[in-house]
Amino acid sequence: MIAALVATLPDMPMPVLVLAAGILVLLLAIACRGSRPSGAAGGTDDRTDGGTVAGAIISAATIALAFIGLWSPASPPSGGMARLFAADAWFAYGTGLILLSSGGILAMSWRRMAGERADEAHLLLLLGTLGAVVAAGSANAVAFFVGLETLSLSLLGLIAYRPRVPDAAEAAMKYLVLSGTSSAILLFGLALAYAETGDLRFTAPPAANPAEPALAVAATILVLTGLFFKLSAAPFHLWLADVLDGAPTPVSAFVAVVSKIALFVALARYFAMTDLTGTSLPAQDLAVVAVLSMVGGNLLAFGQTNLKRLLAGSSIAHVGYLLVALLSAGPFGAGSAAFYLAAYAAATLGAFAALGAGPDRPDLAAWRGMFHRRPALALALSVMLLSLAGIPPAVGFFAKAYIVAAGVSAHRMLLLAALIVSSIIGLCYYLNVARIMMAPAPDTAPAMAARSGGTTVLLAALALATLLIGLFPGPLVQRTTALFLPAVPATETAARARGPFENMRW
Amino acid sequence: MIALYGLVLLPLAGAAAAWLAGRASPRAPWSVAIATLVLLAGLLAYVTHAVPAGGGPWLAHVSAPWIPALGITLRCDMDGLGLVLLWLTVALSFPCVLLSSRDIADAPGTFHALLLATIAGVDGVFIATDLFLFFFFWELMLVPLYVLITVWGHEDRTRAAFKFFLFTQGSGLLMLLSILGLVVVHQHQTGVLTFDYFTLATTHLSPPLAMGLMLGFFVAFAVKLPVVPLHVWLPDTHTQAPTAGSVLLAGVLLKTGGYGLIRFVVLLFPDAAVRFAPVALALGALGILYGAWLALMQDDIKRLIAYSSVSHLGFVLLGVFSGSALGMAGAVVQMVAHGLSTGALFVIAGALQDRLHTRDLRRMGGLWPALPHLSATGLVFAIASLGLPGLGNFVGEFLVLLATWRVSPPIAILGAAGLVLSALYALTMIGRAFLGSPPGDGWAALPDFGARHMTVLGAAMALLLALGLYPQPVLDLSLPALPHDAARPIASPPVAPGGPRP
Repeated sequence: MIAALVATLPDMPMPVLVLAAGILVLLLAIACRGSRPSGAAGGTDDRTDGGTVAGAIISAATIALAFIGLWSPASPPSGGMARLFAADAWFAYGTGLILLSSGGILAMSWRRMAGERADEAHLLLLLGTLGAVVAAGSANAVAFFVGLETLSLSLLGLIAYRPRVPDAAEAAMKYLVLSGTSSAILLFGLALAYAETGDLRFTAPPAANPAEPALAVAATILVLTGLFFKLSAAPFHLWLADVLDGAPTPVSAFVAVVSKIALFVALARYFAMTDLTGTSLPAQDLAVVAVLSMVGGNLLAFGQTNLKRLLAGSSIAHVGYLLVALLSAGPFGAGSAAFYLAAYAAATLGAFAALGAGPDRPDLAAWRGMFHRRPALALALSVMLLSLAGIPPAVGFFAKAYIVAAGVSAHRMLLLAALIVSSIIGLCYYLNVARIMMAPAPDTAPAMAARSGGTTVLLAALALATLLIGLFPGPLVQRTTALFLPAVPATETAARARGPFENMRW
Repeated sequence: MIALYGLVLLPLAGAAAAWLAGRASPRAPWSVAIATLVLLAGLLAYVTHAVPAGGGPWLAHVSAPWIPALGITLRCDMDGLGLVLLWLTVALSFPCVLLSSRDIADAPGTFHALLLATIAGVDGVFIATDLFLFFFFWELMLVPLYVLITVWGHEDRTRAAFKFFLFTQGSGLLMLLSILGLVVVHQHQTGVLTFDYFTLATTHLSPPLAMGLMLGFFVAFAVKLPVVPLHVWLPDTHTQAPTAGSVLLAGVLLKTGGYGLIRFVVLLFPDAAVRFAPVALALGALGILYGAWLALMQDDIKRLIAYSSVSHLGFVLLGVFSGSALGMAGAVVQMVAHGLSTGALFVIAGALQDRLHTRDLRRMGGLWPALPHLSATGLVFAIASLGLPGLGNFVGEFLVLLATWRVSPPIAILGAAGLVLSALYALTMIGRAFLGSPPGDGWAALPDFGARHMTVLGAAMALLLALGLYPQPVLDLSLPALPHDAARPIASPPVAPGGPRP
């Protein structure tokens, strides 16, 4: 039995294996240290810090190895594993982004997670990363669900990581209830799909009897609803602002970046076999959610005086932009979605890193005059916001132009109109932050977070990457256009190869 | 010619150097900026000189791959129109730096870096012939200027800067849609994905589609020029910007709108432009009259000059859409002359504000005895701005009206009526500021213009006079090169087999 299990291991995608092994090692390390009779387990003196750093090193090594594992020449999964995992280029790209982002979040919480010891935080971070990778790569509904729940449950622990902060408990409670609800809806949808098709492949189910597609459509819509909850697309976004606000900053970054990448990769895989160019109910559902997310997210962020809530609104809006790319089947659709995912991840992670390095409270007022007090920090945050707003030379400019190109070539005029209107709304609040940072500094400086080397390095690297990829997007574009979801059947390829005017919908 | 890239990279390098110099000493960035501008002028002189004789209307070309997967290249070409406007940019950068930014006390390094970065963006706009690259520069020049106004502007600066950014960026997105629409249609027809201006000019467009795409470009450039219903950002922005920002905005940035109208609206969509011309001509006449009328009503001197810009640039719109080479040449002369005269007027208004701490004409008057040099230059440039024969503005307006007369006499009559109004507001401004009796009990001793100001403004005056008396060189150069005159033949792309046609 066990031998048979071990024999299947090499068929698993390498990052999954590495992450699982790393989690075991870290668990072991924590267990060893916890059993030492030093009596310092609950303390915050230097001895325990050594253990935390060891945990951080194990986590960093695991993430790095998993990243290297992406290039392992492993044979594509065969047999049973092929039904569980789709280790294709899209998976590799998504996993790469997830691992890089997790590494960045680890750099933000190297020693301390919001003032608490970070041992268990590292463990939960690795678990969440594993869940994200599994969810991004699963070709099977059960594997997807297991990955998603691993992600959600470790996030729950991370959100509630500050036991003495009431906001944290509230945020965790909110996340727990809504995440549970959405999981139930998702499961219901998966079950309906199984009832209709009799298999558990993670893909929008084709109707068994084309004359009566109601069950298949209902299954798809339910799964979509569950995914939208976790992606926090409007109108299922209400939890996001509270959770980001209540969680420690690195965890907010994890929710806004890693979990969204995983879910978007999964969402794109779910629809890889479906023609979203028509007026089918799921396509219309996606389009409506895209418009609501773009406009609603930006309106939510507009006028916020709390930077974390502002970023929550911006994150909702960016999910909307990503959905536009997903809906724009055509020569640019998949490539622009992949490119945008990278641009979004870099800029959002960078913005949260800047928040982590900035004043203790995420109030906008605390950032007044930051250009005069900490010019480098203010500049870094400005670069991230420019990227999110889509202004050159930051990478977000090209990313947005790429999505607009995809939309134009797929004739998604309504979606593009919503994109432009919401971009202009977005401009207002991003610029407002920049304006406040340029204002004269007040006399009393707010308390700043302790300077941390990890955050500084991360912020510098992300700012540099945002600008460099913005100036030279060529190589990344090359990579993302080659990423076409390979599981596309011939009929679908034909549909995508059709000229733009075939699917004209003004 | 690789030197074309230098026109963008040199100011950017200068910006970095100025920023670094600002950390060393507060006076150093100014010197760095001057040095950069001198080098830039030298480079432009070299580019002008290195043009091969008789090589066709496109004078210089350079290209390098940028994003090959999407057919985007770093392609730049320069024609006479671009050359004239590049020279205008350099010429106006000197007064910006020499006269108005020397005494910036607050973070001078950043100020000069942003100023040079704006110049780099403008230079890029005037030479880019890859549509994506053009759009990149178009957006790039906004950010530094936004920061310049937000930080160094006058009392209501943040709102003005915000309005400026929102209008330009919003209309820019419409242009992006048009660019991508054109690219997609071209790709659909030929199977080749390219953003190349010359290749895209060969796209066959159905009339409604051409009109739609052209309107996207038109709105973006009309906001910048500005054309009347879209001008609302301009008075606030010009009024609130620091003097160097006002000079740069009025002198150069507005010209990117005129340039875009010629290069992209009229030459890329000639048929649609002809069909749209009646509307554009009406808008132009409306702008001339409305701008002049509002200028007449203003008490704020910078606001008055800003509205006069709206009026003067209405002539550019008339000229561009008059459909004749004559009108086009007139529009270019008008752009150059307006850049010089209005730039100088903003310098003078800024100097007045520095001395009197007000821009309110009601609190001026009788300044001539106190500030004879400043008042005299003010009078000279105001007269230039109202179109006195012998100065550049007259040539531009005359040619435009002549060309418009051939197309539509009523519009030409309305435009000429605008000239009367411009005489009124220009002379009223002079009268209220410099003549008459001073408010209260006369002016205390005020510092007059020194040799530096007189030299720079005198040079601007000489250029205006040269343009007015002997405009032929500019007229010869200013005819824009047509896209199908490309110096370098464009390989005709293979046609994709079996692609459906619209």
